[in-house]
Amino acid sequence: MLDMIIIDGLSFSLPLFVMAIGGIYSERSGITNLALEGFQGFGAFTGAFAAVYLSGIFGASSDVPYYASFIFAVIGGGMFALLHALLCVKFKADQVVSGVVMNILAMASTSFLTKRINTSFFGNTANKFMLGASSRITLPGLSDIPVIGAVFKDIYPFEIMILVVAAVMWYVLYRTVYGMRLRACGDNPHSADAAGINVYAVRTVAVFISGCLSGIAGMSFAYSVSANFSPDIYLGYGYLSIAALIFGNWNILPALFACLIFGFARSGGSAVIQELGLPSSYNDLVRILPYVLTLLLLVFFSRHNRSPRALGQIYDKGQR
Amino acid sequence: MRKFTLSCLAIIISLIFGALILWLMGKDPVAAYMNLLQGSGLMEKAKYAARQNMFTDFMSFIDALTPMIFASLAVALALKGGFFNIGVSGQMLFAGFCAHMAAMFIPSKIVVVIVGFIGGALIGALIGWLKCRFNVNEVVSSIMLNSILMYLITFYINTFYVNPVSRQSKAISEAARLTLSRFRWEGLRIDIALAFPLAIIMALLLHWFIQRTTYGYEIKASGLSPQAAYYAGMNVQRTALMTMTLSGALAGLAGVSYFCGYLASIQPGVVPSMGFDAIAVSLLGGNNPLGCVLASFLITVISKGSIYMSSSQNIEQEIASLITAFILTFAACSAIFAKKGRK
Repeated sequence: MLDMIIIDGLSFSLPLFVMAIGGIYSERSGITNLALEGFQGFGAFTGAFAAVYLSGIFGASSDVPYYASFIFAVIGGGMFALLHALLCVKFKADQVVSGVVMNILAMASTSFLTKRINTSFFGNTANKFMLGASSRITLPGLSDIPVIGAVFKDIYPFEIMILVVAAVMWYVLYRTVYGMRLRACGDNPHSADAAGINVYAVRTVAVFISGCLSGIAGMSFAYSVSANFSPDIYLGYGYLSIAALIFGNWNILPALFACLIFGFARSGGSAVIQELGLPSSYNDLVRILPYVLTLLLLVFFSRHNRSPRALGQIYDKGQR
Repeated sequence: MRKFTLSCLAIIISLIFGALILWLMGKDPVAAYMNLLQGSGLMEKAKYAARQNMFTDFMSFIDALTPMIFASLAVALALKGGFFNIGVSGQMLFAGFCAHMAAMFIPSKIVVVIVGFIGGALIGALIGWLKCRFNVNEVVSSIMLNSILMYLITFYINTFYVNPVSRQSKAISEAARLTLSRFRWEGLRIDIALAFPLAIIMALLLHWFIQRTTYGYEIKASGLSPQAAYYAGMNVQRTALMTMTLSGALAGLAGVSYFCGYLASIQPGVVPSMGFDAIAVSLLGGNNPLGCVLASFLITVISKGSIYMSSSQNIEQEIASLITAFILTFAACSAIFAKKGRK
């Protein structure tokens, strides 16, 4: 049972984490990003479409569709995110409004397109793309360690992908010139501009990255939570990761901590319900746990939080 | 007036966009848009089922419109005060649920309205309180509350209050329902939305409240600049709390007119999408209560009429929400033009 909690907890919290990193990139550059939910959904949509399409070519047993789906999810999420960047940076729309709009647009367009594509490409009228079950990896040796060995058991391949991506993203944000410029744009865009940084470009790239990372997350959820893509993917996980990054004070490692709490609260709760032999409708009670935890954590930590200073401010070169 | 022009522009561009998609799908956009009007009872259909005509269609359109007006007013009021109430859906759900529970004991329409009003207000107040007292971002807290309330209510309905046939909650009794369902008149069967006059009164009242009272002025001032309002001696925290409470109460009215009027039962497992559409409507209406009524009218035409459109043109019904999303996107973009105009 403990194994189950660890395995399920990790496979839920790591996608949340990669999405939170995306959010951190965007918000550290000064763009409020409530659109993560939409980004992950749109990324999952393009990825799932690619997977279904390619598995028709390569056959269902091939690994190609699985990995290709993640590449397409990254591209799809990123492209969709550029729309948010366009609205926030170029059209100077209110960033909160734009974020909400992006979510609604993603939901409407993906559910429309899924049906449309199913009718015209695959000849059925379902509103979902069925994905095969993801393969799982167990590391021999390490997984035999008692208790923590479960960390290395039944790993989804995307979990390893996410850890690699996360390490790279951490390095870029804190150890490279681009990362420093990005953080400068979020704290004081005017002096960043005076130092010769193109604020618009930095912010656009940051939002693009957040879309790419959310795409990975969306695809991971599509494989792990539901094994298909359907409009049901909009369950508010994007918002959970926003809560994680706020709780993590806009830093990557504390955000990981928050994501782990969410993941284990969720998997631990379901395990308890299973153990007590309660009917499945009690699962709904357990699903509340991550959200309640988020609220409580926010209550305790919001006061001491310091968001990036220029977060949510529209940057206008002429307004100095 | 400029805002009005911009909203119209956003609508027109989106409708052209939607027409383009319909045309690419090989459908006739003009016929499809006429279907929208016909489905809403604003144009004569080719044929009607027994005991139905354009008037009954129009009345059920009004029935769908009523909760939308309340919900968009809730969003608009919060936005005036500088809050983004994305929790309207959760507040609606909670209010509807409380009203259902109350109606089991006292099946009366007035009780339903009052309970809904209070239920929504409580959730709104909670969000406002978390913001004032603990500085919790209202967007995140409302989204968390949406999910929490949805799962709690789903659990309760599935465990204690389910109608085993429809898999929905049990229906509210006709004595307490805010819509007179299939009312017989002149050989017709009409759905009469009893809360509709209340919605219009609320819109007018809110307009007066924001424009003409001290409280309204304080809400506007705190929304535009909390610091300035604070230095002018206003109690910004109290105003914030009041704004969110009132906004929640309006959302509660939307909830009861939706779950205890337009529908008679609550579907477990989903958050009503109306709360999110209401954001679109409110933006489109320029956050003005009267603008909200107009915008609600338009968006309801699209959503209500889309059922008839999808059946008569054989188009996916989802296209309606796509067009709504387009309108919203363009309305958000239009901010830049509005700002240019002011300078």
